[in-house]
Amino acid sequence: MRLTTKFTLWYFGIMLVVLLIGGAIVYYEIQWKISRVEVVRHQRLNDIIAQQIQQGGDYTEHPTRKRATIATIPEDSVPVGVASFYTRGTGWNPEFQSNEFKLVVTSFYTIKGSHYRITTYSFIPSFYQLLPGVVDSFKWILLLLLVLVVISGGLISKYILAPFKRTMRMIQSFDLKQKAPIHLPRTRTSEFRELNEFLTKMTDKAREDYQSLKEFTENASHELQTPTAIIRGKLDLLMESDIRDEQAILIAEMQNALERLSRIHSSLTLLTKLENQEYEAKEPVCISRLMREALSSFAELMEMKSLTLQTDIEDKIYVPLHASLADLLLSNLVSNAIRHNAPIEGSQGLIFVSLTREGLVIANTGQEPQVPTTELFERFKKGNPGSDSIGIGLAIVRQICDLSHFDINYEFRSGLHIVTISFQPRLSASKLLQNLSLPLLSTLQP
Amino acid sequence: MKVLIIEDNQELARNIHDFLGREGYICETSETLEGAKEKLGFFQYDCILLDIGLPDGNGISLLNLIRAEHKESNVLIISAKNALDDKIIGLEKGADDYITKPFHLAELHARIRAVYRRKNLGGASIVEFNEISLNTDTFEARINETLLDTTPKEFDLLLYFLVNKNRVLSRQAIAAHLWGDYTDNLANFDFVYQHVKNLRRKISNAGGMDYISTVYGLGYKFNSHKQE
Repeated sequence: MRLTTKFTLWYFGIMLVVLLIGGAIVYYEIQWKISRVEVVRHQRLNDIIAQQIQQGGDYTEHPTRKRATIATIPEDSVPVGVASFYTRGTGWNPEFQSNEFKLVVTSFYTIKGSHYRITTYSFIPSFYQLLPGVVDSFKWILLLLLVLVVISGGLISKYILAPFKRTMRMIQSFDLKQKAPIHLPRTRTSEFRELNEFLTKMTDKAREDYQSLKEFTENASHELQTPTAIIRGKLDLLMESDIRDEQAILIAEMQNALERLSRIHSSLTLLTKLENQEYEAKEPVCISRLMREALSSFAELMEMKSLTLQTDIEDKIYVPLHASLADLLLSNLVSNAIRHNAPIEGSQGLIFVSLTREGLVIANTGQEPQVPTTELFERFKKGNPGSDSIGIGLAIVRQICDLSHFDINYEFRSGLHIVTISFQPRLSASKLLQNLSLPLLSTLQP
Repeated sequence: MKVLIIEDNQELARNIHDFLGREGYICETSETLEGAKEKLGFFQYDCILLDIGLPDGNGISLLNLIRAEHKESNVLIISAKNALDDKIIGLEKGADDYITKPFHLAELHARIRAVYRRKNLGGASIVEFNEISLNTDTFEARINETLLDTTPKEFDLLLYFLVNKNRVLSRQAIAAHLWGDYTDNLANFDFVYQHVKNLRRKISNAGGMDYISTVYGLGYKFNSHKQE
């Protein structure tokens, strides 16, 4: 829910409560005021009548006596300390022939030694008759307020929240890699100023951390690669000296270990760089061409392992990917398919490659993996613990896919290892396999 | 061939110096940018090996000077960073090739030769040894006049052997040369073995001498002194 809407709703709620209480107050106030005025009027009337009695004379037809009752009462019936009182209630109004709200005021006087009780009454508007009027006027006030709150809420929030929205836009376009600190718009609202200060500090810190991490990776790479290069060079030189057979074996083993070290290191550095998003796709790359190139560069290896390659590659498929990464992705996948290839019973090893606008499927015959296929994307996980690969190729592949928002899936089915990459994330990779127009399907279902 | 090695790490510089020295190259080393500038002021070099991370600055800055005053020199950048930017900038600024640490010395040598062939031999891109001749433009390999039916990788391998004659080439070095880095899986030496085996067979079938021999435990060697 939008902030403005929330504010408006809250205000509306508060207004409703205030108006209800206010309505009640107004209602009771009016009711009390009307009674008060009437009581005072009648007390004055009673006083006038009492005066008339004192003066003497016949006032029977006088207008003051129209609704008055005069009675002499014994002394012991005179209430002590009370000069007058009033009662309210419904009573029959013969003039209007209906039951109406009746106010009766009774006053006590002592005139010339006699005690009088003078009672006058009148009909006043009933409080129930007032209620609809009160409710009605408050309804209109509420409606007016609502309209005003909605309109002003929209306008004022637009004005007040403008700096906040500008900050949001700036933050959304913030890139860790950018060299310059972000410049948030100035604002006079102290909360937004605090927010902006906080964001500026935070993004500066993030940028610094990113930079130092990047520097660390590069330094680590630099500092480790140089000694490795020295050792490798020394071994190269040592190999050419006059050495015995057992020394040769030792050197070879060192060479092997060094090779692994160097590969692990460069792969990890690459993974870090990928995680830091250092490779941005500047323009779409023609993956069809790269796929053909990758296949042809591995053609000899396939031939050596007597592998049969079946391809279905559409022309001119462009994907948003850094060219070097695309190259790496494809060669890792193809070399995996070659390396872990094992012929299935009764036929040679097979490799299927299908590249369509939707995605890429690479499948190869091979032994059943000893760990769940999803785990093979993790670093240093190997389907076959005995193999001498370092098990980082697929981690790199997945990282590249994640980076490009491709959906990747690995499964093992009917003796086939199938890696599916969907270029359009809404099309899940496994779905792609079902739409595949390849001889693959016939192989899958023998 | 005269080579200037600009590299701040003495051990690495000495490795390169020793390796190339055996090839008969005259090598000089400089550990700093300043020293390199001084040397470049006095002498001409056929090839300059340039490390990017130097104590007194970035090696890339030297490229402008080299390109202005040493048009004939080949420049090979040596970098430990393997940062794509460095590579692109280096090549744009006029470097001829780029090699990442840790490299095999034989690989470095092959790169130096390749750059040298491209630039200095004016199109006559033929590498010859006795009866073997390789045309690096057309990728044709001949024994005497017989055309060898080699695959691209076999051609590459033979060229690598010819450039690094009488050197022990480890299987790792050959694998790295043929398939490059980053292909985690392809330190697969069976393939190296297969390639070498096929190559030897093809040369022998065409009537060439079998110069390539196995070095126990280590790899292979192209013996130029081999006599029948």
